[in-house]
Amino acid sequence: MKTDDAPLSALLRFARARPELPPRFQQNVWRRIEDAEAPAQPASWLDAVAALILRPRFAVAAATVLLLAGISAGTLEGRQAARHDAQMNYLASVTPHALR
Amino acid sequence: MKRSLVILVGAVALGAALFAGSFYASQRATVACCTKPADDLSWLRNEFHLSDAEMAHIRELHEGYLPQCAAMCAKIAAKKGELESVLGTGTNLTAEVQTKLNEVAALRAQCQAQMLQHFIAVSQAMPPEQGQRYLAEMKQLTLGTNDLMEQSMSGDTGHEHHH
Repeated sequence: MKTDDAPLSALLRFARARPELPPRFQQNVWRRIEDAEAPAQPASWLDAVAALILRPRFAVAAATVLLLAGISAGTLEGRQAARHDAQMNYLASVTPHALR
Repeated sequence: MKRSLVILVGAVALGAALFAGSFYASQRATVACCTKPADDLSWLRNEFHLSDAEMAHIRELHEGYLPQCAAMCAKIAAKKGELESVLGTGTNLTAEVQTKLNEVAALRAQCQAQMLQHFIAVSQAMPPEQGQRYLAEMKQLTLGTNDLMEQSMSGDTGHEHHH
């Protein structure tokens, strides 16, 4: 190809079609990109709950809360049971069998 | 939908297992750590916040009371044996049976009085407020059961009647 054919090149550049962009073209492109990146909306409340459960942050937080609640309730219950056992031990030692 | 349901059920089961496991483990650990079956008086020390000196005095009272209590138990057991033999296979309430019943009742009353006397002595070895609380609790625990039984027999629900 010849490189010194400047008038032909200029003519070709002038003749190339430059279509008009539709209105708000750039804005629409960005909106479609955002829509594509956004997570899909759950179909039902059950799907929404399942999606929430599967989030690692939620799962770790819920497991921690349940673990702490279990330990607290168990400790409280254990203390009451131990207190009751100790009270019964004392009572058994001071109350004659004949009166029980 | 089905997958979500499986996830939800699995999560609930896992959560319940986690809660139950931590509950039972901590409960058993607490009972094992806080219960001292070797010492009958551990409840007194913990419940009424007693000092070493107060505990030593109470232990002395307790050890003095135990032989008296055992002796009274033996007397009641012997008297009940006599009552059983008098009752035999008879179907009538004889004068002798009535006498033995009265003797058993008298011994039980004597035993209760001795026990109350011990509770009073122990309560006096405690700080006043704790002593009162101890005495009230011991009365309720040792005599309350009889009250309940008598109330249920007489149909008294415990309501006070104002005249």
